[in-house]
Amino acid sequence: MLGENYCIRIKLFFAIGFLMAITNAYAGEGAFGWIYTLDLQPKGTLEFEQRLQRNRQQATGTYDVTLSRTELEYGLTHDIQIAGYVNSYATNINQNYTNCDGGRSTCTAGFPVPASYDAASPYQKSGIDGISLELIYRLTNPVTSPIGIGFYIEPTFGKLKNELETRLLLQSNFLDDRLVVASNLVFANEQLKYLGNGNTPESMFDVLLGASYRFAPKWFAGLEARWHHDFGSYNLRDQTQKAFFYGPNVHYAEKEWWATAAWRYQPKGNSCMGDGTAECSDARVWDSHSRNELMFKFGFPINHP
Amino acid sequence: MLWKLSPLGAVSGVAIGAALVSAPIQVQAKIYVSVEQAQQLLFPSKTFTLTPFVISEDYQEQMRKASSVRQPFVGNRIWRTNDGGWVIVDQVVGKHEMITYALGIKVDGSVQGIEIMEYVESYGYEVADMRWRKQFEGKKTTDTLKLNADIQNISGATLSCKHLTDGVKRLLVFHALVLKNYSAK
Repeated sequence: MLGENYCIRIKLFFAIGFLMAITNAYAGEGAFGWIYTLDLQPKGTLEFEQRLQRNRQQATGTYDVTLSRTELEYGLTHDIQIAGYVNSYATNINQNYTNCDGGRSTCTAGFPVPASYDAASPYQKSGIDGISLELIYRLTNPVTSPIGIGFYIEPTFGKLKNELETRLLLQSNFLDDRLVVASNLVFANEQLKYLGNGNTPESMFDVLLGASYRFAPKWFAGLEARWHHDFGSYNLRDQTQKAFFYGPNVHYAEKEWWATAAWRYQPKGNSCMGDGTAECSDARVWDSHSRNELMFKFGFPINHP
Repeated sequence: MLWKLSPLGAVSGVAIGAALVSAPIQVQAKIYVSVEQAQQLLFPSKTFTLTPFVISEDYQEQMRKASSVRQPFVGNRIWRTNDGGWVIVDQVVGKHEMITYALGIKVDGSVQGIEIMEYVESYGYEVADMRWRKQFEGKKTTDTLKLNADIQNISGATLSCKHLTDGVKRLLVFHALVLKNYSAK
């Protein structure tokens, strides 16, 4: 019953978001679900963006985590974009792990379940986690250069974790700029607050790669992949996970609004090592990861220069 | 029921509402210029004769090499003026939709002017400004016609500037390949 209510509310939330998007919005956007491109806000323009990511299904039981980012982006110059987010979350987690301590066959665990939480009980919680700030600097524009290069930095301050994420953004356009090939090299140090004494270090290195093609006016579709590495200490020391994800994306843009939907699937063949082995089963990695990751985001401009 | 919509939904809802209420969306109007209007803007008081062309694969390839525009050129909207000039309506790729524009070419093969006929993108309306379009006047097929070289870019409208510049180059090549010879007949 709880699960049904959760599902209805999530669907309602997505539906409200979509309806608001189609009745109000714009374009100035990324065609990918997770990959950042070098399509920045022009100088002096402000855009609203809402991002909803839903992670579903781990080893067994229920794992359903929705992460929301409500964002304002602003073009500081034509090559520098700044942004601020409010991050929120909603969880419905119950008996989702099979590698459990204490002889249990299943237990409630993973992000963002505290280590001290009763593993026999469902974990359902929602709230505002915190804020993020973002700055993107575009060194070269892929529209006029063979390779577009940009730098991204994003500090996050939250109740669940603090994080400093940096990215190298790479992009090349082909076929009259209708085919976009983009890659992000992502490095992040994280201070997890929901585990241990509230000061658990982690770090991450990801390679994101994707392509998106404009197959008809206003419509883009493509594929994107994530090669993920998690580490149990800062600065990429003590690796605990490596995993691969892939999936399709579709993007639609009108003059006054845009929306993107994407799905990433975690196939078998992934692995954990060191202290992270409890967070693996069935050749897949868990913790904050799931079998399916769904992304829906939309945006619209608030002003023009 | 532990899961509540309010914290997650409230943040998004409040932010969306605030964005919509406190700062009304100001989206640029679409640009629509008819063929007849474009003709008169480019060659006032002239008469125009529709002169369509079927473009061979060989010409398409030569135009593509010279301009880098991969979208095939469709030669069914070409008009000849009574004094030997030309008006060509063409389309290039915009960010989300096609940009329709008209190019006026004088008898000597130089650009008379360019008119943006249909532009329905979110940003980049500056390409319709006379100051930017004026850069093309007098250009010939022998000119470089490259963005950031002899045509200045408009930051924030880079994709539209690039594709329109490449489009003009393509039409000047088409003139040199086909229309110039037609005029000479």
